Amino acid sequence: MSNSVVVCTWERGRAGVPAGVEETLTLAHKLAASAGLELNWLVAGPAPDQALEIAGRYGVAHLDRIEDSKLAEFQPDVCVEALAQYSKQQAPKLVLIPQTFDARLVAPRLAARTGAGVVMNALTLELEGGAVKVTASAYGGDTRVVYELTGAESCVVGVLADMLLAETPEGGASVPAVRQVSVDLGGAAERVRVIQKAHFEGPRLEEAQIIVAGGMGLGQKENYRLIEDLAEALGGMAAASRPVVENGWADSSRQVGLTGKITHPALYIAAGISGASQHMVGCSAAKTIVAINRDADAAVFRYARYGIVGDCLEVLPELIRAAKAR
Amino acid sequence: EVLDPDAVNNYALAGKLLIGADGKSLTQTSIPRLMNAYDEQAIECALRLRDAGVECTIHVVSVGTDPTKILQHAVAMGADEVAAIPVDTGTVDGFATAALLAGFVRSLGGADLVLCGRQASDGDQGVVPALLGEMLGLPIVTIARAVEMVSATTVRVTRVTPDGDEIVEVACPAVITISNEFGDPRYPTGMRTMKARKVKPQQVAPADLDLGEGGARARVTMTRQFVEPIIGRCEFIQGSSPAAAAQELVSRLRADRTIE
Ligand SMILES: Cc1cc2nc3c(=O)[nH]c(=O)nc-3n(C[C@H](O)[C@H](O)[C@H](O)COP(=O)(O)OP(=O)(O)OC[C@H]3O[C@@H](n4cnc5c(N)ncnc54)[C@H](O)[C@@H]3O)c2cc1C
Ligand SMILES: Nc1ncnc2c1ncn2[C@@H]1O[C@H](COP(=O)(O)O)[C@@H](O)[C@H]1O
Repeated sequence: MSNSVVVCTWERGRAGVPAGVEETLTLAHKLAASAGLELNWLVAGPAPDQALEIAGRYGVAHLDRIEDSKLAEFQPDVCVEALAQYSKQQAPKLVLIPQTFDARLVAPRLAARTGAGVVMNALTLELEGGAVKVTASAYGGDTRVVYELTGAESCVVGVLADMLLAETPEGGASVPAVRQVSVDLGGAAERVRVIQKAHFEGPRLEEAQIIVAGGMGLGQKENYRLIEDLAEALGGMAAASRPVVENGWADSSRQVGLTGKITHPALYIAAGISGASQHMVGCSAAKTIVAINRDADAAVFRYARYGIVGDCLEVLPELIRAAKAR
Repeated sequence: EVLDPDAVNNYALAGKLLIGADGKSLTQTSIPRLMNAYDEQAIECALRLRDAGVECTIHVVSVGTDPTKILQHAVAMGADEVAAIPVDTGTVDGFATAALLAGFVRSLGGADLVLCGRQASDGDQGVVPALLGEMLGLPIVTIARAVEMVSATTVRVTRVTPDGDEIVEVACPAVITISNEFGDPRYPTGMRTMKARKVKPQQVAPADLDLGEGGARARVTMTRQFVEPIIGRCEFIQGSSPAAAAQELVSRLRADRTIE
């Protein structure tokens, strides 16, 4: 096994950069610097324009490229095959993957191919006496679990980049060498056939700067209008907790949390939401959280910057009025 | 089998979730042990396929210290055969669990469909189904909200993705994971539950399974669990009326330049 840690990405990402790559490089750089490991970044498929610049900022030694027409678009079987062949050639000690929707499928499949241990939802990483220690989120964020990977085999770690911050390391810059890595994808074919692609148009909660979210404290479906109206008055987007979606008060694309969207707005207003960790993982990265709840002890206030203790059915109409008055 | 995540959550919400003396277990005895909710939905998926006319035998298997209770629940729901693979849960990880499950599927002579939950609601790892699929050499389709046989050997799956629904087709055998959007599992009648209590799951010793080259060695050990303290710094906005509080909040947010 070589003494390297490699960050793997395979998509250009909506913003032109693979989702979560800088957050993952932040963790990878810290680990590599403290444990004396070489840091590499593997881009499977088309590379983002800024790849070299980003790699340099995080002290990446090699920007590894796998170029193959089969990797032009994400195809799980092809992607897993490419990463598995790369892992066998390079034998990195640690493979880090920013945890996107597709990565949740790719990471454990890669681990099975290479016989590696696998841990998802990672928040921190350490190397201690040869063992990799990973702190991961569990119980939807209620607890943290520390996992140890001690075996001789490499390990694959999914990094919960959505919950981390990207920090350019000081004095760690490098001039990465680009390496073309060749793999044979001749035999790789997709077994799962896409009949209808997912298609999303319009603004995304994940990218919204202002979000107003409603919970069960709204009492009934009709009152969800208040959430939509306040969102509109603030130029933001409406969101909801899971039970609100399950009750059909709001569309499932509006759900925030562990099994919904992970958001990073400047402002998140939570009205009639208790503050369960499964919801809060979807908004705790917000710069400012405002909570409106009639229970002064509600957990949501522990996350909030500003709180109003009161009936959201009374407060929301007033907020709409105040937001509209300029 | 998992600890009831809602009960865990209620303790956490109240700031009263405790970690046991071993530094890693949740030991509050009032937290019930249940079948992972996504796994109940995976069983529901199998039952709906059968209701739709697919002739099949539904096997339910669980790796755990003593999964008798949840397997009896599976029988009450409508499972045909139930099997327990007894292990000390502290000594297995996702890799070992998947290897044991793969061995079990091989011992049946294969399966036409392998249905799993999208993730276990304790660890939230969501790795066993993909590991299992790879070990069996089967295609894997994750996060399904609907599963339908469109021919004797082709299954159509609607996946819940961040961009909305995606519809895919795959030839059986395949591994599919079920998400909460699948809908509520059926609730067995009291009568069925009573009858199921008499069922003894088949006990399958790991040593009797063909585990392939790698065996079922765990690679990952859980060494610690803790509750991350949340440092609250909430400023409560007071106001003589909802209108006054709302006005004050909006002024603050404007002063912070959070809103225009
Ligand atoms: C595996 C798993 C995954 C999950 N994933 C998600 C997820 O992705 N997203 C998610 O949101 N949840 C998720 N949950 C559910 C989560 O645990 C909570 O149950 C849920 O977030 C609670 O929603 P809520 O706050 O709207 O409702 P409740 O918990 O019922 O809270 C309602 C709140 O409103 C307050 N209230 C009532 N009336 C009023 C009023 N008139 N004015 C003001 N306040 C009022 C109450 O004091 C209370 O705090 C998940 C759970 C599990 C087990
Ligand atoms: N011990 C086990 N016994 C049977 N199935 C399991 C076990 N652990 C995980 N699974 C299956 O794999 C899914 C994902 O689990 P996990 O990877 O642990 O999050 C679960 O929903 C189950 O369907």
